[in-house]
Amino acid sequence: MATDEGETTHFGFRTVGADQKAGLVQGVFSRVASKYDVMNDLMSAGVHRLWKDAMMDWLAPRPGQRLIDVAGGTGDIAFRFLARAPGASAVVVDLTEPMLAEGRARAEATAMGGALDWVVGDAMALPFADASFDVYTISFGIRNVTRIEAALAEAHRVLRPGGRLMVLEFSRMVSPALQWAYDRYSFNVIPVMGQIVAGDRESYQYLVESIRRFPEQEAFAAMIREAGFGQVRYRNLSMGIAALHSGWKI
Amino acid sequence: MTDPAARPPEDPQFDRRMLELLVCPVTRAPLSYDPRTRELISTAAHLAYPIRGGIPVMLAAEAREIA
Repeated sequence: MATDEGETTHFGFRTVGADQKAGLVQGVFSRVASKYDVMNDLMSAGVHRLWKDAMMDWLAPRPGQRLIDVAGGTGDIAFRFLARAPGASAVVVDLTEPMLAEGRARAEATAMGGALDWVVGDAMALPFADASFDVYTISFGIRNVTRIEAALAEAHRVLRPGGRLMVLEFSRMVSPALQWAYDRYSFNVIPVMGQIVAGDRESYQYLVESIRRFPEQEAFAAMIREAGFGQVRYRNLSMGIAALHSGWKI
Repeated sequence: MTDPAARPPEDPQFDRRMLELLVCPVTRAPLSYDPRTRELISTAAHLAYPIRGGIPVMLAAEAREIA
């Protein structure tokens, strides 16, 4: 995990050493793990479920496919994928052990049985051989990765030729006026909700800052192309509060 | 060294199938499973990755250095 001395990155709006970020992110998600699903519902008024369904609609899981869901925490994406594709299998990878433990304890996990595996791992150094998967998903996770380019390169590596990448992440609203209003909401309301529901204002402060810092739609699409993916497209969700990015390993 | 009799029971939640899937995140070489310590061994990287609650922890920072 060593990085060059003096190299820095962003942790929300703070500048921190590149080698510190993973630990800080782990801290945030270890603290919020047990309340994560509840908070997602509150923060997005339940809309994150519709976004995840929209992701599945575009992804169109097929029987027998092998999915790697990175930063998959509590299993939301893997459960949906397996429910739509009989005979498919999924590996959920997350940096944070408590998030995985939370997911595995859910009833859906038991129902999926042998089709589902859980691994603690780093998006920038995945513990899988080249060309291992048909589909790579990362949902509300990539903005927490220290070096997004490195995560995209790993996604490309573990996908087989013809495999597909799909990223769900907060993005920029198409209307600046709405973005202004949304920023007011997220900076003023979400940390307070975090305090009330999860007893942890700081972690949710980080979440909103990291959302605002993440590259907008076109810039992120360019990063995906840079990583070697073809046919890169995106779709806005809820007028750009979030976006889905899709790319193919050709 | 642990007394074999005092070993915790085999973790039923760790699926040996995972061995075929996982590689060392440092060297990308295959791993072997040590049933005595219940770790995943990367010979080339001299690292032993723990399995906690049935979940392999594939982070170099969490691995134990071995000879």
